[in-house]
Amino acid sequence: MIFLYSFLFCGFICLIGQIILDNTKLTPGHITSMFVVIGAFLDTFNIYDSIVKIVGGGALLPITSFGHSLIHGALSNAHENGIIGLFMGMFDKTATGIVAVIVFSFFFTLIFKPRD
Amino acid sequence: MTIYYKNVYLNNTSCVTGPYEKKGPLGKYFDKSYKDLYCGEKSFEKGEIRLVKDSLNILLKKSNLSKENIDLIVGGDLLNQITASTYGSLGIGDFIGVYGACSSSVLSMIIISNFIEGGFINNGISLVSSHNMTSEKQFRYPTEYGAPRPSSSTFTATGSGCLLLSNNKSNIRVESSTLGRIIDLEENDPNDMGRVMAPSAIDTLKRHLDDTNRSVDYYDLILTGDLGKYGLEIVKDYMKEEYDITLNNYNDCGVMLYDLEKQRDVHAGGSGPVCSALVIYSYIYELMKKKKLKRVLFLATGALFSPLLLYQKENINSICHAISLEVVE
Repeated sequence: MIFLYSFLFCGFICLIGQIILDNTKLTPGHITSMFVVIGAFLDTFNIYDSIVKIVGGGALLPITSFGHSLIHGALSNAHENGIIGLFMGMFDKTATGIVAVIVFSFFFTLIFKPRD
Repeated sequence: MTIYYKNVYLNNTSCVTGPYEKKGPLGKYFDKSYKDLYCGEKSFEKGEIRLVKDSLNILLKKSNLSKENIDLIVGGDLLNQITASTYGSLGIGDFIGVYGACSSSVLSMIIISNFIEGGFINNGISLVSSHNMTSEKQFRYPTEYGAPRPSSSTFTATGSGCLLLSNNKSNIRVESSTLGRIIDLEENDPNDMGRVMAPSAIDTLKRHLDDTNRSVDYYDLILTGDLGKYGLEIVKDYMKEEYDITLNNYNDCGVMLYDLEKQRDVHAGGSGPVCSALVIYSYIYELMKKKKLKRVLFLATGALFSPLLLYQKENINSICHAISLEVVE
């Protein structure tokens, strides 16, 4: 069942993105940032974690999970180091993603050319 | 301002395109087409310069002229500092660079016509180019980003077109031209150029008709440059409602260049300075040579903006230049 939920949730996020793109003047950049903020917002109230429990990977794949990881990292570090921990921990959980993007992009640009 | 000409003739044309244009309905009219957007070069920008060089060489060859015979080249494109035109026409004739965005094709024709009519030069080449990927990079997103585009967006044509104008008599002449004014209707969506540019096409068309005391039926065909299918409807509707002019003999080059049903990637139609040039310099030029069309009014529309000013919440302005071509009886 988790596979179905996962598929439906991820598809739902994409559907929202497509509807916004088709009906407003917002650009893909706007939508991406908006989803990060929404993910962060939902995680602040522990809602995103509950979603992850139900739908699994389908909630971790879309960009909303980036916002979720930002808040997670910030809050867990804040527990140990207080206010300053908010800033220290922000990129703890997301570092893997960011570094992976940079490293893989580098290697792929060595091999491939941009196409239309 | 409308200027009349007595002594300016179209002598020859050349069109070099990318793969999408070749697959379109006008594919057979082009002189040369590349199979991919790199055009045998290492980057898209260098590919665009290759297109310009090719079209210039083909034009010189077709009209049996050498580089030294060319008095003036007026060219424009969409790259920063119009470098495709300058690098591409290095070593051939005197050069004037123009920037009228997608209206550069007619703007360069008007400038050369004025020089020839004034007796300052004997011949000149109007040169335009654009490239789908370089202009995406320039005006919208990096090519690697792969951003999806809405259905109102137009597809920048890839190619380069050259036109030789001179005082040597031929079957087709430049009859008159109307220079455009910059129009601002507070539009700011770079993915809906048809809506941005349609008002300037309407303005220039109306002023041309008023200046010359002509009705739209005087022309066998009225063509706008690259409004796409939505912009085309706006022009038709507005002319009907505001001035009670029915445009039966009207079409848009952006709609003609591609098969909008089969080539879904182009969305609302073609755009870019070369879009209008590829249609006029190939298909329309052939029809006029066969005298199937005798009088054609050509309105090239351009959107004047920079991404930087768009980020600073400025509007996109537009301009439209018109030139009237006529078969010599």
